[in-house]
Amino acid sequence: MSVDNPAGTPRTIGAFGPAPTTGRPAPRPPRDYLPRGREGLLLVTLAILVLAAGFGSHGAFWSRVNLDNLLVGSAITLIPAIGMTVVILTGGIDVSTGSMLGLCTAIGGTCFAAGWSIAATIPVFLLSGAAFGLINALLIINGRIPPVIATLGTLSIYRMFVFIVLGGNWITQIPPALTMIFVVDHLAFLPVVAVIALVLLAAGMVFLRYFRWGRHVYALGNNEEAARLAGIKPERIKLAAYVMLGLLTGLAALLTLGQSPMAQTSTGSGFVLQVIAAVVLGGTALSGGRGTLLGTLLGTLIVQVVDDAIVLLHIQPFWGGVALGAVILASIGAGAKREAMETR
Amino acid sequence: MPTPSSPRVEVSGIRKRFGGVTALGGVDLSIGRGEVHALLGENGAGKSTLIRVLTGAIMPDEGEIRIDGAPRRFAHPRDAQAAGIAAVYQEPMIYPHLTVLENIFTGNEIASAAGIVRRQEMAEAALPWFDRLELDPALLHRRMGELSLGYQQLVLIAKALVQDAQVIIFDEPTSILSQAETDRLFTIIGRLRADGRSIVYITHRLDEIRRISDRVTVLTDGRVTGSAAADDLDEERLLDLMAGKAHRDYGKPREDRRIANDADPALRIEKLTRAGLYDGVDWSIPPGTVTGVYGLVGSGRSEVALAAFGALPADSGRVLLHGRPISPRDPAQAIALGIGYLPEDRKLQGIFATKPLEANLTVSTLDRFLRAAMRLDFAALRGEAARLIAHYRIKARDETVAIGTLSGGNQQKALFARWAGQSLKVLILDEPTRGIDIGTKAEIHDFIRSLAAGGLAVVVISSDLPEVLAVSDRVIVMRRGTVVQVAEGEAMQAETILAAAVGAAARAA
Repeated sequence: MSVDNPAGTPRTIGAFGPAPTTGRPAPRPPRDYLPRGREGLLLVTLAILVLAAGFGSHGAFWSRVNLDNLLVGSAITLIPAIGMTVVILTGGIDVSTGSMLGLCTAIGGTCFAAGWSIAATIPVFLLSGAAFGLINALLIINGRIPPVIATLGTLSIYRMFVFIVLGGNWITQIPPALTMIFVVDHLAFLPVVAVIALVLLAAGMVFLRYFRWGRHVYALGNNEEAARLAGIKPERIKLAAYVMLGLLTGLAALLTLGQSPMAQTSTGSGFVLQVIAAVVLGGTALSGGRGTLLGTLLGTLIVQVVDDAIVLLHIQPFWGGVALGAVILASIGAGAKREAMETR
Repeated sequence: MPTPSSPRVEVSGIRKRFGGVTALGGVDLSIGRGEVHALLGENGAGKSTLIRVLTGAIMPDEGEIRIDGAPRRFAHPRDAQAAGIAAVYQEPMIYPHLTVLENIFTGNEIASAAGIVRRQEMAEAALPWFDRLELDPALLHRRMGELSLGYQQLVLIAKALVQDAQVIIFDEPTSILSQAETDRLFTIIGRLRADGRSIVYITHRLDEIRRISDRVTVLTDGRVTGSAAADDLDEERLLDLMAGKAHRDYGKPREDRRIANDADPALRIEKLTRAGLYDGVDWSIPPGTVTGVYGLVGSGRSEVALAAFGALPADSGRVLLHGRPISPRDPAQAIALGIGYLPEDRKLQGIFATKPLEANLTVSTLDRFLRAAMRLDFAALRGEAARLIAHYRIKARDETVAIGTLSGGNQQKALFARWAGQSLKVLILDEPTRGIDIGTKAEIHDFIRSLAAGGLAVVVISSDLPEVLAVSDRVIVMRRGTVVQVAEGEAMQAETILAAAVGAAARAA
């Protein structure tokens, strides 16, 4: 009995061999390029919020400056959110992203202050981010520590190292070219940062949807045991996911310094909440196995527009935190209700 | 050396131990081409372990597997899959949020060299099998979790066929199916057999064995205790094979068995019904006796008990405690009324594993140790714990060890002590000796009998026939959600009870 038979060419012809192909083509999957369901709802919500912000601010929302700020902020949140989406899809989570961002800006900022060029420092940001992601991954996979607890620990540790690296000082010697290239310069009406974010988003979407390993990410989040028995290696996928998130966080750290050229000990605090809110609002279930990057994009934009509107409409800033918290609760609540109904 | 007449699958001398427990103690099995081979055995007999060995999920400690005469080693499920073995489990192992197509192909995707999946080709590969299984091709792009369990099962069969499985193992497939779906499954199995494939069919149900199997093998306590052609077996012999255990050692009925007086039951359940679980159930539990409730998994016994305990309310029917109708809203209320329930899964629902033994023993009776200003009298608590440990002969270094470190038998004794210490009128025990060695089993049976002798109404739900016979004064037999027999005195025989539980025609006593 030969063994090297890829699925798809049945070897047995007998009473129960496959039916002769009738020439009828297999049904195509329904076209889901247009956002349906949750994504459609998010799009509508975003549209409403944008219009409301536009009206409420008497047109200030639509100014070039404001839109640019909005896009830059969204891009910086979106880039790690892409990695976070994949991590959560596998059934894990990383709450250390904010501290990681802070530490990467501290390390990179130190290089800038020492006179390094932008080109030389970019790898520093990316590699340090990847390294911190790797530490998280090893704690979770090899140390068998539940992801939320492991990354809660590294959250504190990385933040502490920010203090150590910066020594309590600020770093302001960030090359202005950084801001020029990424924030000020535009490509097709969008700040370069936003273009980078969109390119990464598109790459992520293609990977998750069309590539075998992308589908394995979903399989892992659905049923890790079944995936393992099917020959998928969960450890490898998880390792890649956390390292990638670290790498993207490193990139976001570089771009943060472009947005506001100062590395301080508080850089990045509260950032992880924005990222996770964006992902969760976008429809990715914390239990893993379901969610899309398109949803993450919409979630990111909604969170940023709400933040922006609060400033423009002169609402007290702390309401932003309230709004963020409410959004997280609402979207997790809606998701939980849906899960409960579906598994009945 | 592969020969045309080699059986498709042959295992010999398979042994597997998990820690101190022997799951398989030397199993030989032979499955021919185009054969439906039924595998029988009670819970814990080793069926699941054998299946896991065959599908490559675990490796045996000793023994050989031969496929078409050639020895094979399955270090990983993919090896078994390559050898043409596939399994369809009782609870379908699926990816609920992925599509049917992805459920079939995950791990085996048809993809380009770069890794881009070719969905259209996969759909085309699955299509012919969908036609053969009479499945609507439109299902391919539906979410797997939306399908009913019956359809999920069919998809998993399609998956096995797409992988060109020559040996398909079914683990109690009909437990989740309706009658119509069962008929459909049997038609499919018939066609698979005609095609030369081998089917291993695990079941408890005698009617199914007669209907579709060619050979029958019985597993008991990790060994093969019988194997024959299905035609050579009539129901009597099958029942003998399965109930064989009941004629051995500790399964002897006790001398102190009492004939119950039904006039004033401690617990009476009348026409209890809950859609999908049980229907029109009547239980009558007299005080001072032990009533066994026997039935196969899925017969609804635990669910009925949970209704009396306030954990899973019924749709209709009554529960009466000493003649008074009650409807406890939650277990706390039920306990306050005097009904206790010891769940079957002690790890998940019974012990507080990291807490000390004394805490586990006294958690339900803490108010006895409460003094002024909400302080606990720890000395008294410790004394009571020590007394219980001595009385129930719990083997532990002392009362402060974490209960999770004790053996299963001692944990169960501790849980039993916890309940026995409360003032109850009815105590329901669900599988009280599952996974426990024979010596401790006998001890717990003694405790149960003495509780009843003290006036308590005890209910023992169990799938272990010798246990039920040994410990009970009368036996309620349930099948598929209804009470099919109440056996007492002379009628409490292994064969009659088993026959009722599996649906065979009862033979003259």
